[in-house]
Amino acid sequence: MVKAYIMILVYVGKLEAVLSKLRGIENIESIAVTAGDYDVIVKVAVESLEELMETTDKIQMAGNIKRTTTTVIEKEITA
Amino acid sequence: MRLRIRKKYLFYALVVASSVLGAVTASIDSVISHLHVTNSWVFGVSAMLVGTLVTVAIALVLSLPLGRRSLGARIDPSFSRFRLLRRKELRYHLLAGLGNTVTTLGYFYVVSVFLDPSTVLPFFQVVILYLLLAESLSEKDAPTLAEIESSVIVTFGAIMASMSLTGSFNLEALFIIFVIVNPGWVLLAVCQRKLKRLTVDDRPNDAINIRTWNVVFTTLFITATTLVYNQGYVLDALDAFVDSFGWLALTMTVTFFSYILYIRALGIGKASITQAVKASTIVFSIPLSLLLAGVLDYSFGGSPSLLAIKIMGIVLVVLGVSSFALTEVKAYVFINASSGYKMSELLREVWRIRGVASVSALAGKYDMVAKIRIRTLGKGYERIIRRLEDIPAIEEFNWQSILKEWEEI
Repeated sequence: MVKAYIMILVYVGKLEAVLSKLRGIENIESIAVTAGDYDVIVKVAVESLEELMETTDKIQMAGNIKRTTTTVIEKEITA
Repeated sequence: MRLRIRKKYLFYALVVASSVLGAVTASIDSVISHLHVTNSWVFGVSAMLVGTLVTVAIALVLSLPLGRRSLGARIDPSFSRFRLLRRKELRYHLLAGLGNTVTTLGYFYVVSVFLDPSTVLPFFQVVILYLLLAESLSEKDAPTLAEIESSVIVTFGAIMASMSLTGSFNLEALFIIFVIVNPGWVLLAVCQRKLKRLTVDDRPNDAINIRTWNVVFTTLFITATTLVYNQGYVLDALDAFVDSFGWLALTMTVTFFSYILYIRALGIGKASITQAVKASTIVFSIPLSLLLAGVLDYSFGGSPSLLAIKIMGIVLVVLGVSSFALTEVKAYVFINASSGYKMSELLREVWRIRGVASVSALAGKYDMVAKIRIRTLGKGYERIIRRLEDIPAIEEFNWQSILKEWEEI
């Protein structure tokens, strides 16, 4: 299992449209609208790096997205 | 299109559904204890014996495949099939069984004393104060002022709502609830939450196996306790098992589903918050009490001032629960580490900070990300920022407040 965070910058005024598209994409564990350097942070869980690339492609093709930054999770501690 | 909902909505849906079933159970129990099995010890043992049979049967039915998953996965997605206990679960199951034994025996006694379930159930909601204390001692998160305020509102509301319309109180029963039943419930809730958060066979533990095994252990403990106290009660319980099997099976089936939803909710939220929302049980118990008055042929009396106090209590409980729901701050903190420090040690150091819900080592622009769950932004500074600034292995960090979140459940 490969998990990753994808940080997204969205064009102004297009956040609702992007969220609507993101909620329909497979393999996304969570979608957070944030205040700070990024507009949206998405957590993805896929079977392989190949599948991660496909999911990233789907996000980038959703439209109204200025830039994405993907960081793969190497190790995770959770309650 | 995949279904993606906000996690907190699922959490509240689970607890409220559990509360409705809890109110139904209390009403059925009132009928049984007044018409069929009047001795509380006999009621306790016979209910648990029937409960074991019913619960294992339901768990087996839920293990049947339906498409690619089991039938039970529709109730709890973590459930695969009914299975044997794992060694790491045993300690928590023994303690949860002990807690449930104390709670169950006390509960059946109280139900046999009070006729109207709407006067009994509110007192159980005071357990929230015990849970807050237990969480502040044992977990990574201490209660905030907002949590304490809400708990006090819920508690006073519960006491007011529990007032009988005839004005009667039974001090012995109240003593049993406060000193025996509620501490037992805390032990049960804390252990069930620990069990739900365990990983078994590389997947999250499921509520159905947790409840099934809890019933098995509780039955063993209750039967053993009753045997020591009075052997005759166990023989009477066997008679009740046969004579009132239908009623007992009905109450234990409803209880099973009430617990499954409750345990699933415990896996999502803190035990005290789950209990706060479960306080809505008292709201649902009012119409059931009126229905029961017809079945058992008794009158509530009818003092308008006592009715007004009861309604005020219910309003306070709902307000307390709402203020719990509205006070949570979440954030991501992205961290870059200084060179010359071990990432595994930094990971553990960040994890030890109160309010950190998860921490992940990353490959990419940042070295690490911590997810934060706190009650107020002020705590974010006192508890998180100041601690992070004290860690020399951290070069810089970037706080991203979460404004809204959807999570796959």
